Amino acid sequence: MNIDSVKFRLGKSSGFQVLIYVLAFACVIPLLFILGFIIKAGVTKINWHFLVNIPKPVGESGGGIANALVGSIIIILVASVIAVPIGIMAGVYLSENKKSRLAYWCRLSTDILQGVPSIVIGIVAYFWLVKPLRGFSALSGSAALAIMMLPIIIRSTEETLKLLPASLKEAALALGMPFHRVIFKVIIPVGISGILSGIMLSIARITGETAPLLFTAFGNPYLSFKLTKPMQSLPLLIFNYATSPYDDWKNLAWGASLILLLWVLFLNIFTKIITRKWKVQF
Amino acid sequence: MAQLETELQLLKTEVINMWTLVNSQLSKARTAFLNFDKDLAREVVLKEKRVNGSELKIDRDCENIFALFCPVAIDLRFLLAVLKINSNLERIGDIAEGIGKYVIDAETPFTEELLRVTRILPMYEEAVHMLEDTQSAFETEDTVLARSVFKKDDFLDSVNKASNKVLETHLAHHPEDTAQALWLLSIIRRLERVGDQAKNVAEEIIFYLEAKVLKHKNKFA
Amino acid sequence: MESTILKSRNFNASFGTNHVVKNVNIDIPRNHIIAVMGPSGCGKTTYLRCINRMHELIPGATSNGEMDLNGEDIYQMHPIFVRLKIGMVFQRPNPFPNLSIYDNVIAGYKLNGIKLPKAERDRIVEQSLTKVALWKEVKDSLTKKGSFLSGGQQQRLCIARTVAMEPEVILFDEPTSALDPISTSTVEELFHELKANYTLIIVTHNMQQAARVSDKTAFFFLGELVEYDETKTMFTNPKDNRTQNYITGRFS
Repeated sequence: MNIDSVKFRLGKSSGFQVLIYVLAFACVIPLLFILGFIIKAGVTKINWHFLVNIPKPVGESGGGIANALVGSIIIILVASVIAVPIGIMAGVYLSENKKSRLAYWCRLSTDILQGVPSIVIGIVAYFWLVKPLRGFSALSGSAALAIMMLPIIIRSTEETLKLLPASLKEAALALGMPFHRVIFKVIIPVGISGILSGIMLSIARITGETAPLLFTAFGNPYLSFKLTKPMQSLPLLIFNYATSPYDDWKNLAWGASLILLLWVLFLNIFTKIITRKWKVQF
Repeated sequence: MAQLETELQLLKTEVINMWTLVNSQLSKARTAFLNFDKDLAREVVLKEKRVNGSELKIDRDCENIFALFCPVAIDLRFLLAVLKINSNLERIGDIAEGIGKYVIDAETPFTEELLRVTRILPMYEEAVHMLEDTQSAFETEDTVLARSVFKKDDFLDSVNKASNKVLETHLAHHPEDTAQALWLLSIIRRLERVGDQAKNVAEEIIFYLEAKVLKHKNKFA
Repeated sequence: MESTILKSRNFNASFGTNHVVKNVNIDIPRNHIIAVMGPSGCGKTTYLRCINRMHELIPGATSNGEMDLNGEDIYQMHPIFVRLKIGMVFQRPNPFPNLSIYDNVIAGYKLNGIKLPKAERDRIVEQSLTKVALWKEVKDSLTKKGSFLSGGQQQRLCIARTVAMEPEVILFDEPTSALDPISTSTVEELFHELKANYTLIIVTHNMQQAARVSDKTAFFFLGELVEYDETKTMFTNPKDNRTQNYITGRFS
C-alpha cells in the first residue's frame, strides 16, 4: 500500500464521478434537443384558428387540427371509461388474493400484455371489432388503447394497495363493514393518489400511440363525434401529414407535434402534483 | 395513576381509623385504671377484637397494593411504613387490653402514695401524648412533630429506670403494698414499651416522608 | 349474581394444522374488565380475534366450539352483526388517514351507509369524544385530519370510533404497547370509565398493566386457558404453578 497506488485509485474514483455526471447530463440532452426542435418548428404554427378549424383541402392555406384534437380527447376518454374500472378492479383483486390460481394467471397475462407490440394490438382489434362491425370506428380505436392501458393501471393499483397497512382494512372490518364497502369506502379512497397517478401515466402512454389506431380509428378529415365512425386523432394526423408532400399539411403536423408534446408534458406534471398533494403518509 | 392514588388514600384512612381506635383504647384503659372502673375496662378488652381485625385488613390491603401496582419511591416507602406501623399499633392495642385486664382482676385500687411516688400517671399521660402526636404527624405529614416524640420517650425511660429503686424504698416502709407494687411495676414496664412502639412509629413516619432510616441511630445526630 | 355476557365452551382455533387455541372454557361477566395475558404465541390474540370473528378472515384459519354473546351463538350470527356488537381496538392506532376527526368518529355509520340527521351525528361525535376524554382537546379541530394528534390521542380517537357504535363488548389487542408511558396511563384511566357502560377484554403482554386495570385475569399458556380468577388472587396467590412461574418471571 504505497502512496502512488493510493493516488492512482483516488484518481480513478474522481474520473468515475466525472463520468457519471457527464452521462447523466447526456440523458437530458436528447430531451432538450427534441423539445427545442419541436418548439421552434411548431410554435409559429399555433394560433386560435389552428385549434378550432379542421384541415383545409390541399392547396388552400389555413386550416387546423380541431378534428384531431377532439378526436384524441374522445378516443382517450372512451378508452379510459373501458380500462379504468376493469383495471382498478383487477388491481384490487390481485392485491387481495396473492396466492390463488386466478391471481397467478392474471399477473402473468398482465405482464405479457405489457410487452405486446402496439401494432399487434391494433391488428387484433382490427380482426375483433373492425371486421365484424364492417367499418373503422373510434370505438375500436378506444378498445385497442384500453387494452394498452390495462397493464399499467392494474400494476399501479396493485402496488399502491399492497403498500397500505393491513391495519387499515382491519379497522374497517372491525367496525362491521362488509367487504365491498371496505374496498370502495376505505381502501380505494386512501390509495387514490397512487391509483390516479397510474391512470394518468397510462393516459400519457396512449396519448401518442399511433400504430393501434392505424387499422381501427383510421382517421377522418372531418370533425366527427360519432363513436361508430372513423375518427381523427393527433398521432394519426402527424403520421399522415408529416410524410405528405404538401407544405400546408407539414405545418399542421409540426403544430400538432408541439400540442401533443405539451399535452404529455402537462399530464406528467399534473400527475406529480396530485400525487404529492393527495398522498397519504403512513 | 389515579387508581393507585385512590387505593393509597383509602389505606391511609384505614390506618388513621385504627390509630384513633388504639388511642381511645389506651386513654380508656387509663381512665379505667384511675377510676378503678371495671365496666370501662371490660369495654376495652372487648374492643381489642376490632383492633386485631383492623390489623389483618390493613395487612391484606398492603399485600394487594404491592401485588397489583408494584409501587415505587414514596409510595413504596409509605406501604413499608404502614406495614410496620400497623403491627406497632396492634401491640399498643394489646398493652391497653392488658391494662384493662388488670383492672378487671384487681381487688382494690392502687394507693395514692404508690401512684405519686412512681410518677406513673404523668408517665401514662406522656405515653398517650406520644401516640396522639405520632397520629397527627402521620395525618399532616409533619416530620418535626414526629421527631419531637423521641425526646418524650426519654421521660418514659427515666420513670421506668427509677421505678425499681423507688418501689424498693417504698416497700421498705410499706411492705403491705408488695402485691400492688408488683402489678404497678408490670404496668410501668408495659407503658415503657408503649413509648418504644410510639418511637418506632415515629421512625417509620420519617422514613416514609424523608427516606431517612433512623433505626438504631443516635437520635441527636 | 353478576350476569355473564360472553361465554366460551370447548372453543378451539387453528391456522391450518396448527392448533393454537385449545379447548377454552370461560365466562365473562358484564361490565367487568378482563385481562388476557400470557407469553408470545400462547394463543391469546387468536382467541380475542375469534370473539369478533376476525380470525376467520385469514386464509386457512378455522375454529370450532361454542361462543355465546348474551346466550346467542356468535358463529350462527352474521359476522357483520357480531362486529357491530363487539368492537375492537388494535395495537397500532389506526384512524382513517383520509378522514377528518369528526368523520373518523362516525366512520362506522358513515362508511356503512347509515344516514343520520346532522344533530344526531353531532351528538354521537361529542358524546364519544367526551367518553374518551378527547372532546376538550379536539373540539376546535374536528374538521382537521387526525395526523397532528399524538399516539395516545390517536388511540383514544380509535376507541371513540368504536364506542360510537354502542357495542356491548370492546376488545383491546395490546392497546398501549405502541404508546409512551404517559399516553398509556391516560388510556388505562379510560378503561375504568368505560367499564360502566361496556365490558372490556384486554389482551396484554404487560403483566403490570393486567394487574393495574383488570377485575379478572385469564392466563393463557401454549394455547390453553391455564387459570382464570380475580386479579387480586391471581397476583397474590395463583393456583397453578405455571401462572406463578410466568408472573414471577421464572420461565426458563
